[in-house]
Amino acid sequence: MTTNVQYLEDMPMDLIRIDTRKAYENIHKKITRLELAPGSVLNDQALAEEIGLELKTVREALSLLAHDGLVTFSEQGMYVSEINLAELEQLSELRLQLETFSARLAARRGSPDDLAVLEALRSEQASIAPDEMERLFDLDHKFHQAIAAASGNRHLARALEQLFGQSQRLWYLVLPELDFLPEAVETHLSLLQAINARDGDQAASIMHAHVKGFYDKVKTILSADDR
Amino acid sequence: MTKGPLVLGIDTGGTYTDGVLLDYRSREILAAHKSLTTKRDFSLGIEEVIRQIEIEDPDAIRMVSISTTLATNAIAEGKGKRVALLLIGYDPELIESFSLDKRFATPEYHYFNGGHDLYGKEKQPLDLPAILAKVNEIKDQVDALAVSSYFSPLNPEHEQRTLNAIEKICDLPVVLGHQLSTRLGSVERATTAALNASLLAVLQDFIVAVRQAMERRKIEAPLMVVRGDGTLMSDEFAARTPVETIHSGPAASAIGGRFLSGLDDALVIDIGGTTTDFALIKGGRVTISEEGATVGAYKTSVKAADLLSIGIGGDSHIRTDHEGHYLIGPGRVVPLSYLAHKHESVFQRIKALSKRTWEQSSPDWLEYWFLLREPAESHLKLSARQAGLIELLRHGPLPVPEIIRKLQVLHISQLGTDELFRQEILGRAGLTPTDLLHTDGRFVRWSAEAAEFALQSLCRYQFEEPEVIRDRIWKLMSESILRTTLSFLTRLPELEQANSDENFGEWFFLNSLYAMHPDLATSLNLRIPIIGIGAPAGLLLKDIADKLHSELVLPDHYHVANAVGAVGGSVMVEEEILVYPVFSEAGLDVIAYRVQSKTDSDEIEDLEEALMLARETAAERSLSAAIRSGADQPQVTLSVENDGIDSYRVRARAMGNPRLMR
Repeated sequence: MTTNVQYLEDMPMDLIRIDTRKAYENIHKKITRLELAPGSVLNDQALAEEIGLELKTVREALSLLAHDGLVTFSEQGMYVSEINLAELEQLSELRLQLETFSARLAARRGSPDDLAVLEALRSEQASIAPDEMERLFDLDHKFHQAIAAASGNRHLARALEQLFGQSQRLWYLVLPELDFLPEAVETHLSLLQAINARDGDQAASIMHAHVKGFYDKVKTILSADDR
Repeated sequence: MTKGPLVLGIDTGGTYTDGVLLDYRSREILAAHKSLTTKRDFSLGIEEVIRQIEIEDPDAIRMVSISTTLATNAIAEGKGKRVALLLIGYDPELIESFSLDKRFATPEYHYFNGGHDLYGKEKQPLDLPAILAKVNEIKDQVDALAVSSYFSPLNPEHEQRTLNAIEKICDLPVVLGHQLSTRLGSVERATTAALNASLLAVLQDFIVAVRQAMERRKIEAPLMVVRGDGTLMSDEFAARTPVETIHSGPAASAIGGRFLSGLDDALVIDIGGTTTDFALIKGGRVTISEEGATVGAYKTSVKAADLLSIGIGGDSHIRTDHEGHYLIGPGRVVPLSYLAHKHESVFQRIKALSKRTWEQSSPDWLEYWFLLREPAESHLKLSARQAGLIELLRHGPLPVPEIIRKLQVLHISQLGTDELFRQEILGRAGLTPTDLLHTDGRFVRWSAEAAEFALQSLCRYQFEEPEVIRDRIWKLMSESILRTTLSFLTRLPELEQANSDENFGEWFFLNSLYAMHPDLATSLNLRIPIIGIGAPAGLLLKDIADKLHSELVLPDHYHVANAVGAVGGSVMVEEEILVYPVFSEAGLDVIAYRVQSKTDSDEIEDLEEALMLARETAAERSLSAAIRSGADQPQVTLSVENDGIDSYRVRARAMGNPRLMR
């Protein structure tokens, strides 16, 4: 008898105090951009002074980041979570599965609004010069998020969000040797075409190759560094 | 002596930041302080107030509540952030033919297809691709986005879909019209959304700054912000709906006046440094303007105290026009008595001026400029003349004619100083009512001698005695306050100063004040007392109360009543739900009723059931939000208002005193 339309998606960040959110965003950026290197010790007091927010606030933000897997607490203190090959292996095998699944579901279930979003992101990405790496990266990230949202599975989107957060650092790590973002523009176009055509198999296979390509490159660079 | 829970009330006004420390249960004021408002960084003035109050035990403070003119000033001075307004389903021709676009509060607005009709039915499909393309195009040129769709309170689907899509393509904050107002006025809703978007960052920075000031003073307590209707909201709520703080200062002062006087019906007149504000207390509450607050040129749909404000205060600039008539305000300046008190050179100059001949003593010499602070280099590109002026004023304040001569310009407008005043790099001082109060000994805090010399110079130029000038100015001020009082109470436009021989209204007004007619007496009788608030109130309002045959009540601590009002309000959350019919495809039969809240909607066949659901949902939501906002055992009142055929507005209001426990 009743139909219920729920408009609001959960926005947990909205319930967090604004100064904590500020601190969180600030430190998150420092970690993903490797200004705070993986494995480095975090001094909450120094951070509070640097950001210009209270110690209590910074500590709250750090525990949120620990929840995201970007910060690790130990007996000795706090440090930025490590990135190593073993970690990368685990991250990539899960992301590969989930993103492939996400693309398949998006092709099957994506709404016209979802497709409009994907198209807006793709055309914006296509209009950006290849040397504007940060903006291209930001759009790439948003494109993958939008596909996850288009899958219509909230839990899948949330799980992927955490993996994206981890992967961002990898991107900055390999940034100096990166040349595949412009080519990602092509891939995104064919991916979007597959989703538009409701071809789940095609979308899944493009996504699989896309994500695998990324991790393979990162792996090559990381193992070269290890040597 | 053990005290009950303590609360700290702060009001950041245009001129002063006031603070009071109050024992919440006994209502006893333990400490009060006034300090100058620091517009470039409000937290400085706030921290100064907290410091001066000398709190012995910060742990005893259970709430800090703050009222602020920040939002109002940011709008009036155009200091909000840049906003793009996305209008969905609005008719551009209609809007432009009535010049309604001037009211949107941002020059950047764009029209898109979509929107609903007055039955909540989709008028046109939403053109999401066009919206997203536009957002991509403009996203680097604005700081926030506001979205308002036609009839969105009845059906917010297009606004919500737009938000969901925009959030996926860019990181700008997005404000939705239906979240701020359930009123149907589409232009006001768009304006409100645009203003809210432009104030988001402003108020967030402010709240973070206040919290930091609190933490530096070891105060760990919830922070509340006063709304424009005098109720309180949590700081987090305020950070999302900054537009609701419009008029929070004057509302707080009216509530403070009632709190201190205990009067349930009164006219509240608050004379500050910059403005005089009027509000009405009826049955113990501040009267509210239902049609929405107006700020500057913008009509909003924000509910706020019904009030009127004029640009006359203790620090209003007294000048003369080319015919020698006196003018007061609306500009605010630093009183000369204060400037001379601070600078010996100013005192000496004013003293010398009083000895000069008539030709050498034009009133320009009573206007001083001075340097407030060095301009931050990154902020402003200074012209050579501006830089020269700053260099000149580094050695102390100077009167305008001297500046003109030293910098060899013909007119002050050549110096391009507006921006320097606006950014509070330069300050301006002049003769003010505060100085005149120094000369007749009624209020002496700074250099009464300098005020006396300044008045003498004006006397020489005007060929008038000091008493005559003082009289003129007091008369001008009280007439102006009386005119505004009448127009505030009657809702009639203010009396134009007309020839009283020809205009009956004007004649009646003046005859009631000055008994001009030999035989016919008229009078004004205000049937409620006047509560005077603000430092100059005690000195200026007695005469006004006499003229109105009313009683003037000056409660203890009336000079900081606004800070008291900041803690005197209740925590309130309102939830409104609309119930309206859904028609069959043919459009003739009512097939169900839609129950539309801000976040979701239901369709229910039976009207009674629909209203029941609306009542329950509204009550439940307002109650839980009030508890989350810090209300202590809030009580819910429900009202159902008929809003057209078969349409209803169900409003739940949860209200309670602030929770002061740990």
